[in-house]
Amino acid sequence: MQAAVQEQYVEFGIENEQYAIRIQEIHEIIKMQDITQIPNVKPYVKGVINLRGKIVPVLSLRAMFEMADKPYSKTSRIVVVHHREDTVGIIVDRVSKVTTFTDIQPPPDRVGGIDGNFFVGIGLNGSALVGILKLDEVLLHEE
Amino acid sequence: MLAEYKEVFLEELEEQLQLMDEVILQLEQCGDSGEVVQTLFRAAHTLKGSSAAMGLGEMQRLTHQMEHLLDQVRSKKRSVTPPLIDLLFKSMDILKQMKLDMEQHDASFVDITSCLLELEAFGRSSGESPSEPPSESSGDKAIPTDDEAAFGADSFRRPLPEQTLSTRLKVQEMQEKGKRVYWIQIGIAPECVIQGARAYVIHSMLTEWGDVLMASPEAESLDEGYVESLVLTFLFAGNLEAEELKARLTRLVDVAGVHLVPEPFDREDMTIPAAVAVEKTAGQSGTQPVEKSKSTTIRVSVDRLDHLMNLVGELVIDQTRIEQIERKQRQRFQDESVSELGHVSDHIHRIISDLQESVMKARMLPIEQLFNRFPRMIRDLSRSLGKELDLVMEGKETELDRTLIEEIADPLIHLIRNAVDHGLESPELREKLGKSRKGTLTIRAAHEDNQVVIYVEDDGKGIDAAKIKASALRKGMIREEEAELLSEREAVNLIFRPGFSTAQSVSDVSGRGVGMDIVRSHIEKLNGLIDIETSPGQGTRFKIRLPLTLAIISGLLVKVMNQTLIVPMSSIAEIVRVTAQDIKNVHGRPVIVLRKQVIPVVDMNDPVHPDFHRTGKNHIPLIIVGLAEKRLALVVDELIGNQEIVIKSLGSYIGKVDGIAGATILGDGNVALILEISALFNPTGGYKF
Repeated sequence: MQAAVQEQYVEFGIENEQYAIRIQEIHEIIKMQDITQIPNVKPYVKGVINLRGKIVPVLSLRAMFEMADKPYSKTSRIVVVHHREDTVGIIVDRVSKVTTFTDIQPPPDRVGGIDGNFFVGIGLNGSALVGILKLDEVLLHEE
Repeated sequence: MLAEYKEVFLEELEEQLQLMDEVILQLEQCGDSGEVVQTLFRAAHTLKGSSAAMGLGEMQRLTHQMEHLLDQVRSKKRSVTPPLIDLLFKSMDILKQMKLDMEQHDASFVDITSCLLELEAFGRSSGESPSEPPSESSGDKAIPTDDEAAFGADSFRRPLPEQTLSTRLKVQEMQEKGKRVYWIQIGIAPECVIQGARAYVIHSMLTEWGDVLMASPEAESLDEGYVESLVLTFLFAGNLEAEELKARLTRLVDVAGVHLVPEPFDREDMTIPAAVAVEKTAGQSGTQPVEKSKSTTIRVSVDRLDHLMNLVGELVIDQTRIEQIERKQRQRFQDESVSELGHVSDHIHRIISDLQESVMKARMLPIEQLFNRFPRMIRDLSRSLGKELDLVMEGKETELDRTLIEEIADPLIHLIRNAVDHGLESPELREKLGKSRKGTLTIRAAHEDNQVVIYVEDDGKGIDAAKIKASALRKGMIREEEAELLSEREAVNLIFRPGFSTAQSVSDVSGRGVGMDIVRSHIEKLNGLIDIETSPGQGTRFKIRLPLTLAIISGLLVKVMNQTLIVPMSSIAEIVRVTAQDIKNVHGRPVIVLRKQVIPVVDMNDPVHPDFHRTGKNHIPLIIVGLAEKRLALVVDELIGNQEIVIKSLGSYIGKVDGIAGATILGDGNVALILEISALFNPTGGYKF
């Protein structure tokens, strides 16, 4: 895990928990936009947005982690990631900072009630524990 | 084969083959008119030249023989007879197969030997073949075509290499000496461990028996123990009979198969390399110098046009946004700069719509491209089915998008097959019914409004509604009560249901498991509609409506639950305003009666618990959408207006969503979904946000 320790992450929050995504995987972070809902799709797919002429789907991490829906607030953001050939937006409650971790532990089976498979590991930063998301798992999530 | 030339060659080949097909048909129908034969001769000659340039020896030989026959016809030494036409068609089929092979594998695996022999034999049959010396015929007869199949000869055949002028001269020299010249292709068994040595042995054996004029791979590279491929090609001259030579070669160790082609002794061929060289320098495209000089077209790859279309699509979207911004600014400010913005915006609007039209036009092709395939197909069809018919094609010049032409081909062919097979009666029956012996099949294309309409019409027996009903009942597709309620029109439309086929026996022609339902769904995929009109004993008419293009469509913007949705204009039959009282309940389901047709009503807000008084307005706008014969009335909150929209996909992450055909970006920058009307007719469909 030596290499991973050097890497930079973008840390963001949902409810009281902190999560992170590797900075290389992030395309940009934008404010909330008008989302066009799409019928007959998985519940965590909130719809699509127009990202400079490109139609990009947005997902709700809350819905995926089976937390109650909450209206978007002033701090809500869409983290736009590149995944394989796709561009996908992920809605989070707030974006905190760019950070590095002193140590990364392998994830336990459950991380605060969430399936441990969603995570690459748990990043340690002082006393804070941050779940590092495994995008492959999050985006290709099957119900 | 050079890739860049290959593409040009294949395109030319396609063109020439289509032309030839057409002309042979003309020849069959109208007999021998000098001009027709001349055209055909020229086409065959062109193909001969260009296939030689591409090093396609077999195609060159085949077209050469065709040309030879045609030359006899042209010079009135031979008359046009049915066997001649059949033979020409047979050769065409082989050429087409070769083309297919080349597209897919870069090499042709078609066995031309039998066809070649047939052509040659035919060419001699009248005894008037001055250009063919007797020596060749004795050589030909020695070729045992059946044996080749036994050796599995096809598996290792390669296109013959191009001959250089010097080898040609050598060939001629040998032939004049009375030697027989063959192309020999020998497949080395793959399990052979010392290929190089084996090849060397074969080469030296051949040198012992006669002269090797050309070898590929060459003897020098064999010395190094290196063999490029498992197939050896030789140009061999000797005194051996073909059979003897073949037998000897087959006896050699590690030889998997032998393929022999006699090299024809023909002085005329001598001129080919020179002619080829000239054509090559002319950029390979020069086929008919007369046409070339007056045509000012260039070939553009479809990818480039697609890209151009995408860019125009982006412009259309941005332009609607500019318009919207301009409107907002106008409400806020009374500045001169705002009205200037308006002028600029208007101007851009005009230019973009011109641009859009031009790009769309650039992608359009006359439907002739597709129609030209039909005469040949119908000829073969009517022959195999024993029907007699006249084909009438109208509106060949009608233009539509290239992609559409490709996509509509299969459904059209299916409709035509059906018409010939099931629609038209046999000549005997027709006479008995007091109709003309020959049936008529009309295929017509035309522009109507902003759409293309294609009719396929026959004067056959029509569709018997009662029969259809009975058949549907038997198959359990409808219930007894339902059957009684069905109008004649509705009953006829049952043929579009999946799993329906009235044909008693599955014939070779139709009934390949592709039913009318596939035809319909194919047309719907293209945002088109299909309709049937039929009267028993008089005929059937299918009417297909298609949009002009796929990328940009005209759509009606509607508001449902504060969301803007788009209904493709092509699927809207009409828009009516009704009062809430006009909507009746039948079996607990809301319907509206429009011109005596009962149309189900769907409340887009809540299909399960419709509420038509919700808006509190007196009049409710109903969008009547059509899918083939079916109609559905949609209730929306508000009609916004129609607009040109660019269809974008939702991307691979979301994939295909039921009920959604795609999305577009509106003037305000928001994404709006385009409804897929066919899903609304599906009972399980519906929109769940």
